[in-house]
Amino acid sequence: MRQVDILIVGGGSAGMAAAAAAHEHGAKDILILERSDRLGGILCQCIHNGFGLHRYQEELTGPEYARRNIDVIRERKIPYSLNTFVLDITPEKVATIMDPEHGLQKIQAKAIILAMGCRERPRGALMIPGTRPAGVITAGAAQKYLNLEGYLPGKRVVILGSGDIGLIMARQFVMEGIQVQEVVELMPYSSGLTRNISQCLNDFNIPLRFSSTVIEIKGQKRVSSVVVAQVDADRRPIPGTEREIACDTLLISAGLIPENELSKAAGVRMTPSTKGAVVDDHLQTSVPGIFACGNVLHVHDLVDNVSMESEAVGRNAARYVSGQLADSEFAACIPVVEGRGVGGLVPQYICRTEEPEPLKLMFRPRGVYQNAAICVLADGSCVARKKSLVLTPGEMCEIELDRKMVTDAIQVCVEIQ
Amino acid sequence: MWDVVIVGAGVCGAATARALSRYQLRIAVLEKGSDVCAGASRGNSAMVHGGFDPEPGTLKAKYNVLGNRMFDRLCEELQVPFQRSGTLILATSEADMKSVEELHQRGEQNGVSTVVMDREALLQRWPTMGEGAVGGLFCPSGGIVCPYTLVIAMCENAARNGVQFYLDTEVTNISPLEDGWRLTSQDGSTFDTKLVINCAGTHADRLNNLVSTEKFRILPRFGAHLIMDREYIKWVDTTITQTPTKLPTGGHTKGMGIMPSADGTVILGCDSVDYTDPDDVATTSRSINAIVDYFKTFWKYLPISAVYPNFPVEGVINAYGGLRPHPDRDDYIIGEAPGAPGFLNAAGIESPGLTAGPAIGEHMAELVVEKLHPQKKENYLPGREICKPFREMDEQERRAAIRENPDYAKIVCRCEQVTEAEIRDAIRRPVGARSVNAVKMRTRAGMGRCQGGFCQSRVVELLCEELGLTPLEVTQAGKDSYILLGESCSHRFEEVAP
Repeated sequence: MRQVDILIVGGGSAGMAAAAAAHEHGAKDILILERSDRLGGILCQCIHNGFGLHRYQEELTGPEYARRNIDVIRERKIPYSLNTFVLDITPEKVATIMDPEHGLQKIQAKAIILAMGCRERPRGALMIPGTRPAGVITAGAAQKYLNLEGYLPGKRVVILGSGDIGLIMARQFVMEGIQVQEVVELMPYSSGLTRNISQCLNDFNIPLRFSSTVIEIKGQKRVSSVVVAQVDADRRPIPGTEREIACDTLLISAGLIPENELSKAAGVRMTPSTKGAVVDDHLQTSVPGIFACGNVLHVHDLVDNVSMESEAVGRNAARYVSGQLADSEFAACIPVVEGRGVGGLVPQYICRTEEPEPLKLMFRPRGVYQNAAICVLADGSCVARKKSLVLTPGEMCEIELDRKMVTDAIQVCVEIQ
Repeated sequence: MWDVVIVGAGVCGAATARALSRYQLRIAVLEKGSDVCAGASRGNSAMVHGGFDPEPGTLKAKYNVLGNRMFDRLCEELQVPFQRSGTLILATSEADMKSVEELHQRGEQNGVSTVVMDREALLQRWPTMGEGAVGGLFCPSGGIVCPYTLVIAMCENAARNGVQFYLDTEVTNISPLEDGWRLTSQDGSTFDTKLVINCAGTHADRLNNLVSTEKFRILPRFGAHLIMDREYIKWVDTTITQTPTKLPTGGHTKGMGIMPSADGTVILGCDSVDYTDPDDVATTSRSINAIVDYFKTFWKYLPISAVYPNFPVEGVINAYGGLRPHPDRDDYIIGEAPGAPGFLNAAGIESPGLTAGPAIGEHMAELVVEKLHPQKKENYLPGREICKPFREMDEQERRAAIRENPDYAKIVCRCEQVTEAEIRDAIRRPVGARSVNAVKMRTRAGMGRCQGGFCQSRVVELLCEELGLTPLEVTQAGKDSYILLGESCSHRFEEVAP
């Protein structure tokens, strides 16, 4: 069986950053597996700008950002295999992979980095009643048709959900001469970045309706209209508030879900909170030697953060294969729990070991909080605190922590005050 | 002149076509949908019923039992996924146990063996059966099949043996000829035939009433289903339903249930609402809520509740609706229509119609043989040539398949692991796929948890390559259901560039 030190599943921004960092920290036997015919992942279709502000202090487009990552992989001659589909990963870290040139192969890895990214929540999962005509499409799929293939998925669009891809698509649709009727959002706040609402909707006079949803899709062959209604505090439609909006397309941008089918196959413990793997502060999963980073671990807002998180994982994997990092053992760790207002917390465990780097906890607020503070409690007493003017679910929060403050704690809790 | 024209390519029409394709006959199937299996045979619970439930002595009981017995061979010949995974009617009260007893008796009369189980027996078979499940009726001959795969397979097989299929062809008029009938379709084309077989589902009454002295009415009875991710199949090994309920508008429904699907997902449903529009399969919030609410309560009784204590709504990946063609007389209408010699009905084939369909098809073929005395074909082929789904192959089969055809190593639909080889095959086969949905029905590409978000554009490309279309001509489900509505400005600039 073919052997490799570090096997990386996914050649998007997460996989490439992890590979580069692992290489820099001494790991030389690395293989990146990428399903499509190019590296870069979803960045290739994100032709808008705004990428790289944190990591490169420059404003890049998605393909430009991807290009910088790909250049590093090529310069360092890190091997990657395109058109390669991973069928299975076992807890023993044997991957079954497939590509048209070599057929089916098995690879034994010392460490595996899961970097598969995420997928969009489709119409079916939202259970929107109505007919099933053409013209109901998720934002990312529309983005692919428009940016990679050059076709318009519609001419008159209603957008459901204010996720970032939907907002970006709203702006791009306008530039393509497509009429964007409005954006409806179930929650009383947006799940997208504030800067996207300002630059993609407000600048183009596209209305955004909060606490509203699509309650019916109409049309036989192609969408002819959708019915929008306001919802109450329990997110139930309020009778009498229905409005029918003529359109030929319903664009859905209502959430991203980490693609964890392979993680589950490998026996990795999952959590419903992030829909990703449970990890310790090295982002090592419950299966020793399997790490996770990027959107497969938890959905990020910015690719810059994906890259930085994945670099840390690359370093850790390099340490793991050289024997400097031990197998994960959650039972010996300090559990980190979600307190008031906190969801999607990562990591869920902190190792009681000495580390050179500070500890970073990431999470999403469960609602909108003004003049609030993020507080980390070790067995009830506050060990870190960070004030913020506004916290919203659309923007991931992070707080750094001095390890020494928690080494003896029984439990760590993060809450919003 | 055709010998036989079959109207409707659902389970009855397809089964009749296949049964008749053994004979030297000129046969046409007219289907108003853009693909075969467009009506009731598509949007149902996918159950192969044991046959203990219909009223003894009815045609429903007869063909249910006969049909059930045909499934092993039928599905083997046609390579259609089918499992006798059994059905359990779950009792959660003493009153339910009474109906369980009654159903057991009825089963005896219909010649279908069932087992009455008490709680202990339930626990023996399903150790995690929830608290409050007091007993039930288990029918081992009940099963699950993929309904559209079955119907498509029967159509493909019939086509392979010479039957002609006309899609997008709705019969709008029927007039008598001296020695048969003239059928006219919506675009004015005519089909002259000796015999007509009416398998028109929810439209069967319209056709019958054009020619017969005995009119009937088909009441479209709507039901919705939810589909859950493959993740849950491990804990759903058999169909579990509530006890049947009488309906105020006649007949009864076998009620809500949870079913493993033959393709590895889990189906929940269905409710029952009377409609007037014979084509309205739109799901409604009323139906979806009815199912969700039902399972929020019923869930605790199910064995899966030991793993997922509450109904995991987030596991739902899609919803679909279907119409049962409920006849006004509460039994199937089968045979020559009074006052219309040579016009044969297979009408009102509501549940358990998917199970009964193959047996009804055989019966319709017998009626035709009695009238036309055709010769048997010597070169009749009972099976179909089909690429085995990659998903169902073991490792050795996969290696062999890739060696033979490298397209097998190209996964197009990642959620359902459908390869390029299977998609190209689905387009090239008899009665081949012509739209994105037709590819989906034949291969499951786009049917998984992402619902085509990732793979649809590749399916569009493959349809273009195989059929010589441009992406703007590709439809979701035939006629005018275009997926893309224009070219982007970058596309337009490219054209003017030197």
